[in-house]
Amino acid sequence: MEEIVRAEGLKKTFTLSKKQQRIEKTGETRRVAVNGLSFSAYRGEIYGLLGPNGAGKTTALRMLSTLIRPDEGDAFLCGHSIVKEPERVRDVVGFLTSDLKLEGFFTPDYLFGFFGAMHGVEKQVVAERKRELFARFGIDKFAEVPVKDLSTGMLQKISLVISIVHDPEVVIFDEPTNGLDVLTAKVVTDFLCELKAMGKSILLSTHIFSLVEKLCDRVGIIIDGKLAAEGTLEEVAMGNLEETFFRMYRERKGEIV
Amino acid sequence: MKLIALMKKEFHRFFHDPRLIITMLLPGVLIFLLYTFIGEIAHSDDRREFKVYLSGSSAVVAVIEQTLSENEDKVEWLPLEDEEAARAAVRDGEATAILKFSENFDLFGEDASVGIIYDNGSEDSTYFYSVVSSILIGVGMRFPIEAETVKEDAAIGAEILSGLLPMLIVCFIFSACMSVTLESVAGEKERGTLSTILVTSAKRSHIALGKIIPLSCISMLGALSSFLGVALSMPKLMGLSLGFLGGYSVWSYILMLVLILSTVPLIVSAIAAVSALSRSVKEASAYTGVLMIFTMVLSIVTSFLPAMGSWISAVPIFNAVVSMQGILKGELPVLTSLLSLGINLVYTALLVFILTKLLSSERIMFGK
Repeated sequence: MEEIVRAEGLKKTFTLSKKQQRIEKTGETRRVAVNGLSFSAYRGEIYGLLGPNGAGKTTALRMLSTLIRPDEGDAFLCGHSIVKEPERVRDVVGFLTSDLKLEGFFTPDYLFGFFGAMHGVEKQVVAERKRELFARFGIDKFAEVPVKDLSTGMLQKISLVISIVHDPEVVIFDEPTNGLDVLTAKVVTDFLCELKAMGKSILLSTHIFSLVEKLCDRVGIIIDGKLAAEGTLEEVAMGNLEETFFRMYRERKGEIV
Repeated sequence: MKLIALMKKEFHRFFHDPRLIITMLLPGVLIFLLYTFIGEIAHSDDRREFKVYLSGSSAVVAVIEQTLSENEDKVEWLPLEDEEAARAAVRDGEATAILKFSENFDLFGEDASVGIIYDNGSEDSTYFYSVVSSILIGVGMRFPIEAETVKEDAAIGAEILSGLLPMLIVCFIFSACMSVTLESVAGEKERGTLSTILVTSAKRSHIALGKIIPLSCISMLGALSSFLGVALSMPKLMGLSLGFLGGYSVWSYILMLVLILSTVPLIVSAIAAVSALSRSVKEASAYTGVLMIFTMVLSIVTSFLPAMGSWISAVPIFNAVVSMQGILKGELPVLTSLLSLGINLVYTALLVFILTKLLSSERIMFGK
């Protein structure tokens, strides 16, 4: 199998503000969000990072998409280092997260063209992909409606198609079905399977067991910024993913709540 | 291609939103209407008190007093002993005018003459002159009035404009730059739409230039609108005629435009850098407000203390204010203006570099 993503000892620490220290009633000034994370993802597979809120999933994905730099370690996407060649990495990655917003004033049609140009995609190719993806997600009817006037589900679909406007080799989705109704969530998960069938590598983070069981070929369980387990779904789940996860969590944290 | 796409986006955002266009151009129209209105009011309803040096006597003096008192205006007659001192008093605004009747003045006599020396830069003095001439014509005077002014028209206009206009221009440039830049940089950062651009493979320097260039062009429109509003209404506000504006050469206008052109991107870059550092539009507005007050105060100081030394050329914005003063006084400070242009461009480049660094900093862009 061709290795597309390789993370090597990624570490990320954040400084806690005085306000955060007060809220969390802690005297510590630094917090380790991701601590020596290493894993690999291969071509044509869906890799799931499973963990509770605050485990470091989003931070790990933000490092892989070059939005933030690791304090230590490195990762290679299609052979490009996230530390040394962030711009090359951005050309092979499509990143979807709720933190990245679209300007409400513009229409989906305009934004697709704009982000196509931002990734250096030829106008003709952009037009072709727009026609194809807008029809696939039912966006074509809303192509000229300002984004601010669209529903949450439609907005998520638009964010999704814009994140892959440049036909990236690696698709990174942070909690892709969060806040979506069941119908839109199904459209998104079906599309992830389509991307996989097209030979793309998909990394997704989630805390939803059923989503991992339904989509992922391989899974990494992340607790307190460290990888607690990694392998194929069968290897990690050992019959029941949910039970295995809670057992691991108890072993590391001592309690569930 | 990416830089062009970024620039097009900013232009598209502005020119497809009528509200933004109106917000940008309206100040100029409002300033024109407001200043013109204030000028009309200010120069129509005053109760005036005149001090007039009088030489000779005539029954006309009583008619002048009577006419002025009908408008509740008062006149104090002072004996004309030293004409040079009296002229100086009129020029300095301490007296209104000098009124000279010939000896044994007879309104219908062959040798009669009336001389009036007034300050054409003073509204009161000009008003007094118009009252006296109307009365003399009204009573059937058969000889011309020998009127003399103490200042050249253009000199008065230039004096007032050179003091006020540069400061006002800088203020209006600042407001125009503020309205678009805060929204485009701090607004996009606050809404999370800037992060979506940062995750693409566009260079940070292109993203910085993709903001500064179009925002400068857009701000230029607003600044020019405000500039025209002020320039066209100022004479009315000051009680002057528009005619002296034509007294400036084409080069004066070109130099003025060059100075404005160099000041706009500098201010846009400064506001963009402050906006990138801020977490919200509100925070950026507060910081930019302080910056604006600082700029305004120094512009006022520069405007009214012209002898500040050549070191001012090295200070961005203020060098432009000093150069504009020179232009409006009728000088052609080519060297100072070009120096200002160069220095402002250097500072702009420096600020674009700083903005690029800020856009690359995850602590600034994504820090909570």
